[in-house]
Amino acid sequence: MNFAFTEEQQKIRNTIIDFARQELNPGIIERDRAGVFPRDLWVKCAEMRLMALPFPEAHGGDGFDFVTTVAVFHALGYACKDSGLILSLATQVICGLTIQLSGNQEQAACLLPDLASGTLIYAQGITEPDSGSDTFAMRTTATKKDGGYILNGTKTMISNGPVTDRALIYAVTNPTKKTLARISCFLVPKGNPGFSAGNPMEKMGLRTMTNGELVCTDCYVPGPSLVGREGQGVILFSEVVEWERVLICAGLLGGLERVLEDCIRYAKERKAFGQSIGTFQAISHKIATMRMNVELGRLALYSAAILKNKRKRAALESSVAKFFISESLKQACLDAVQIRGGYGYMSEFEVERDLRDSIAATIYSGTSEMQANTIARLAGL
Amino acid sequence: MNTCNTIRDFITHEMLHDSLKTPLGDDDQLVDSGIIDSLGVMNLLSFLEEKFSIQIPDDDLIPENFASLSTITALVERQMAR
Repeated sequence: MNFAFTEEQQKIRNTIIDFARQELNPGIIERDRAGVFPRDLWVKCAEMRLMALPFPEAHGGDGFDFVTTVAVFHALGYACKDSGLILSLATQVICGLTIQLSGNQEQAACLLPDLASGTLIYAQGITEPDSGSDTFAMRTTATKKDGGYILNGTKTMISNGPVTDRALIYAVTNPTKKTLARISCFLVPKGNPGFSAGNPMEKMGLRTMTNGELVCTDCYVPGPSLVGREGQGVILFSEVVEWERVLICAGLLGGLERVLEDCIRYAKERKAFGQSIGTFQAISHKIATMRMNVELGRLALYSAAILKNKRKRAALESSVAKFFISESLKQACLDAVQIRGGYGYMSEFEVERDLRDSIAATIYSGTSEMQANTIARLAGL
Repeated sequence: MNTCNTIRDFITHEMLHDSLKTPLGDDDQLVDSGIIDSLGVMNLLSFLEEKFSIQIPDDDLIPENFASLSTITALVERQMAR
């Protein structure tokens, strides 16, 4: 496998890095404190075509392959300090991939242009109050009626939920079936009678991304709202989540690289006991581990990305990448705080925000424990 | 080993985890019995696509196609004939 960026990919990455530093980073401390979705920055990202990358030009996209899309999100994670915004953007792209992979041609032609342009914000409604890691124990139902479906149930902690214009809602269509055949996916637009979004939930990190409830109460959607076929939801989700984990990991790996560079810079500049703190092994070994994890994370990420780019299955590779990179980032952020001592604990120096954001990465899109379960199952256990 | 037996062998060893069980029948229900679940189907897909050098299109990723050894074999043979 060749992991080197092409000249075009490197050029795009450089553009994104400059863009993120100039346009997305100013004011991040205040935005994080306020916990408000930065709609103006969303528009700037849309103008940079960040949500259009992997979609066909015929459907309003820019037609890049998935590896290039991953390389761009990798650059974004490296340069952009707003992890909440990055995850909002990734959510949008993942919803688009769901439609592209599983929707019919009419749905792709109708929905992707507004998604790729960022004109409409998307969310995917999966998690429920009583089903997190046990995803498919969801209780939201979709009952057939008058050529369509009536949806009832509550989704919670949904990324982009409070600001969503269109949501992909997973619901049980056949409760008598076993897991694999009981769930379907529906597109529900904002304003649909019986569909409502809750207020943003206060949370520890990723504070510029909104998370909240999506509630369906006798919410009727017409038959063509079904994405994929009835009963296909679990297989569809299982496929999409491989793409999701790879794309999300791209941003996380970029973040890990940024934390590493910041730690190296600080360890060289900061003096204690008459010398740079980087000369102490208590510091340098932490940084060496970060460096090692960047190298290994890059192999894990692009191995999985190349497989998805070839339309191969990557359940193992995407879980390995998600588990390894998210845990590496969390540990690196914890070490970055420790390396800075008291300064690391102060909001002004921004490391504590990275730590708060990084903890979520070991929870969303499958906790580390669930990734380990997947890896173990695929090892034949 | 023919297509059906190759798939049977994989499911028996990778999903049943119990070689002492009654041999898997061609029409035994794999989805309804829970033998093939969400992760199992992705594992199976990975195996099928690599072993038989096929790519199963998204349209065919429906539970009915994984209901039994017979339906999985038919799915694979349709793709091999393309």
